[in-house]
Amino acid sequence: MSYVKLVVQRYDPERDEKPRFQEYIVPYRKGMTVLDAILYARDYLDHSIGVRFSCRMASCGSCGMKINGKPALACYTQVSELGTERIVVQPMDNFPVIKDLATDFEEFFEKHKELMPYLVREDRAEQENPKSEYLMKPEELERILQFTYCIKCGLCYSVCPTVGTDKLFPGPQAIAQAYRYVEDVRDEGGETRLNILDNPHGIWRCHFAGSCSAVCPKGVDPALGIQLLRRYVMRGKAPRKKGEGSKPFTK
Amino acid sequence: MGDKIMTERKIMMIQYVTGILSVFLVSVHLLYQGVIVPYEKAISFSQVLSLYRHIFYGSMLEILLVVILVHGFNGLRIILLELNQSQDWSKAVDIITVIATVVTIAYGTRTVILAVFGGVS
Ligand code: SF4
Repeated sequence: MSYVKLVVQRYDPERDEKPRFQEYIVPYRKGMTVLDAILYARDYLDHSIGVRFSCRMASCGSCGMKINGKPALACYTQVSELGTERIVVQPMDNFPVIKDLATDFEEFFEKHKELMPYLVREDRAEQENPKSEYLMKPEELERILQFTYCIKCGLCYSVCPTVGTDKLFPGPQAIAQAYRYVEDVRDEGGETRLNILDNPHGIWRCHFAGSCSAVCPKGVDPALGIQLLRRYVMRGKAPRKKGEGSKPFTK
Repeated sequence: MGDKIMTERKIMMIQYVTGILSVFLVSVHLLYQGVIVPYEKAISFSQVLSLYRHIFYGSMLEILLVVILVHGFNGLRIILLELNQSQDWSKAVDIITVIATVVTIAYGTRTVILAVFGGVS
């Protein structure tokens, strides 16, 4: 392979009526990622291509897009692994397009924020001026570890069929993160999160399609997190009440 | 959790319980009407009527009616809720599906009552 034909979906909501495709011939080199190909096209062929990226090492979650129809991180997808010289890149579904491949994450982050993705403790004074670490056993960490790897790339959100039909559904990322904190032994905000999720457009609307887990580039299994959290919502009881979080370490 | 009488959690609990019950009761019904009683005989008018009049089987049919209608209409409600997210739509869907469930259960029960106490022979 000496070149790749990069087909970019172009769309500027402020100017264009509908999306169109534009082709670029990009010289191929060994080890080239899809993001490399897009950046070559943007740097040498067409400066107007809209794309978002940052770390180029699957850590920041900025370059999620559809590559040959499947959502993936462009920096984490080798051109060679696609097995074709024609690469079609499109913005992720379920996100409004800002321009071309760059999508708007505002709604996604709002939903994430609503479920309080941080440790909630009753003793705020102690939490803000901690004297030591909160205790946590290795097996307790194990229960939530995979969910802590989430980089908020939005790939799971883009393939969720419920997000596509129900705009109030928080989406797999937000719910899996809610589980990550509800299950965290240091946290005391479980009940509030369960109450937020127990509504006609909340956790129950997951139909367990499982596509979120299939596309996650970090090996997170959001579908599992949703099912595990459902158990708590169904019982109407969080694993810990206020004041029952693990205690700070003392000698 | 929640101040409403019927939180989504309770509704979904009913949905899962009625789902499991439906599978069990429909299996019993199909096993009896088709395997234990041969299919040709099972669908004869007199056989159907005798089932309604049998205290256990008639009661089971009534429970099956309630269970399947509650499960089915709540399932429909869930699908409809996803179509539109406005408060008015959600309220309308809730009210319509509850009314539809009650009306169809009442109509089905009427058939059972008529079969048991006469009116159908
Ligand atoms: S769960 Fe996976 S796919 Fe979803 S936002 Fe987090 S890292 Fe991305």
